[in-house]
Amino acid sequence: MVVTFCLAALAMIYLSYALPRLLPGDFVTAMYGSSQVTLSAEEEAELRAYYTQEPGFGSYLLKLGNLDWGYSYAFLRPVAELFFEALPWSLLLLGSAHILSMLIGFVTGVEAAWRRGRLVEKGMVGGMTVLEGIPEISTGVLLLLIFALHFSWFPAAGAETAYAQVSFMGRLANIGHHLVLPLATLILAYFPGNFLLTRNSMMMVIKAHYMTTATAKGLPPRRIRYAHGARNALLPLVTRFGLRFAFMITGALVVERIYAYPGLGTLLFNAIQARDLPVIQGVVLMSSLMVLAIILSLELVYRFIDPRIEDASSF
Amino acid sequence: MHLRFSHIVMRDPWFVIGCGLAIVFAAATFLGPPLAPFDPWDMSFTPISPASARHPLGINDAGQDILSELLFAVRNTVGFGLVSGMMALAIGVLIGVSAGWFGGVTDMILMRVADVLLAIPAIMVLILTAALFRPSPWSLAMILALLIWPSVSKGVRAQTLSIRQSLHVKAAAQIGGGKWYIIRRHLIPELYPLYLIGFAAKARMAMFMEASLAFLGLFDPTRKSLGMMISYALRYYYMDIWWNWLLPPILCLSLLIMTVTFLAISVEKVLDPRLREILGEETA
Repeated sequence: MVVTFCLAALAMIYLSYALPRLLPGDFVTAMYGSSQVTLSAEEEAELRAYYTQEPGFGSYLLKLGNLDWGYSYAFLRPVAELFFEALPWSLLLLGSAHILSMLIGFVTGVEAAWRRGRLVEKGMVGGMTVLEGIPEISTGVLLLLIFALHFSWFPAAGAETAYAQVSFMGRLANIGHHLVLPLATLILAYFPGNFLLTRNSMMMVIKAHYMTTATAKGLPPRRIRYAHGARNALLPLVTRFGLRFAFMITGALVVERIYAYPGLGTLLFNAIQARDLPVIQGVVLMSSLMVLAIILSLELVYRFIDPRIEDASSF
Repeated sequence: MHLRFSHIVMRDPWFVIGCGLAIVFAAATFLGPPLAPFDPWDMSFTPISPASARHPLGINDAGQDILSELLFAVRNTVGFGLVSGMMALAIGVLIGVSAGWFGGVTDMILMRVADVLLAIPAIMVLILTAALFRPSPWSLAMILALLIWPSVSKGVRAQTLSIRQSLHVKAAAQIGGGKWYIIRRHLIPELYPLYLIGFAAKARMAMFMEASLAFLGLFDPTRKSLGMMISYALRYYYMDIWWNWLLPPILCLSLLIMTVTFLAISVEKVLDPRLREILGEETA
């Protein structure tokens, strides 16, 4: 498990080390030739000197560890600074979207399975299957149209109102207000999958004998459903927890761009537009490493809590 | 298994809807570009004009006919998804069968590689290669396929292991069938339902990736793509371009992803033996 993730991390670092060196011709020309950045003669000479000294993989690792990820000539700032400025917003958006979509998907899935065969359940399954087919690009743009442009209930861009002098609580409310639309987009895109997964595993749990026993003991229905049933239906969801987080990355990049949310996705988009390779390289590598670290720690925590995962994990 | 499978799956409404939509998209893919009213790269029309009889979806900011753009974009997105899905499936089946059949060190190495690839976020590798090398869409489809095969090969490997133990395979070995004969005649055909699941899931992922990459501006800007159309139209979202410019590519992309999702979900539902038992009442 740990070895797998270390290998994956090493593979990512090596790719980001080796790929730029495979570029034909001079790296500086390749990097800035087509970008919107114009370099002065000294800057160019400096960069050329910097990139022609051939550092081995070891010193590349060392540089990464020292947060020396290069300098962005499009934003005129070090890459690490840009990265750490955008990171909290992305973590806020992704983290809350992931947890909420898991929770909502789980609860609705359990409730739907409980009402199996009824019209409500069939309708829910149908609705979720359709929702599962709508990508977050579409949901995002539609929510933007309806709630930001048509009703003007929520802001269309940014993570907080700029230059607003407000109290701490006011600032929190402001951030929450800006978070609603991107968060809703991600949740709408990802909770149907969790719903379908939970419903399917709950359908199997419901048939188990211990559920009949629990009913026979005269326990209240909610207790049967959650304490006896849902707990055992949790496993497939938990084993996919990390994997689904990784899935969400692609969606989050797009959603951040739609709402101009100042996270890593928007930073990456702006860097791509300006063809600012050091930033692209740094953001891609560091966010992949971060994703790996997050998935690994989640998996380890869950393994610690529930040893059954060891066998059940399809990972 | 084959007969019963097709029988059950045909009764699933999602499968039928998915097939219907798939036929529509296949028609749009093959007939769209020849039927497009204008050359989608022709920039000679009045920019940002609303829908008219001549241009049913109006003109975009660069003076190009949106309907023609849309038809080419659908073809590109579908093509990318199919090519990448097909390649991921081929690689996945090849590796899954080898790992399951040969076992031992081969199995261990292949599955370790699969685990590592599963952990790496594919989009990040694609962004890096696309930004550095600006490869053709086909190379990107191939790179994506090289990154997403592991989940296919895991399913194939598990099934291979169980088929290998089954009586008819043992019988085939008893009558002197070589391993290639058994793999070709028994293993590969019997895994066929897994191909449908794998292909639908991977094609879905690839189409979604294509749209996202295009949306982020990582493809050649002259290549028509649904993601890129949405990205360009979004720059003018405050204007009155919703109905003719922004919503058509969104609708197409959603329907496209829905098509593959419906197919993937219905096939998986029918094939998962544990689920089939539960859903049996409804579907069969």
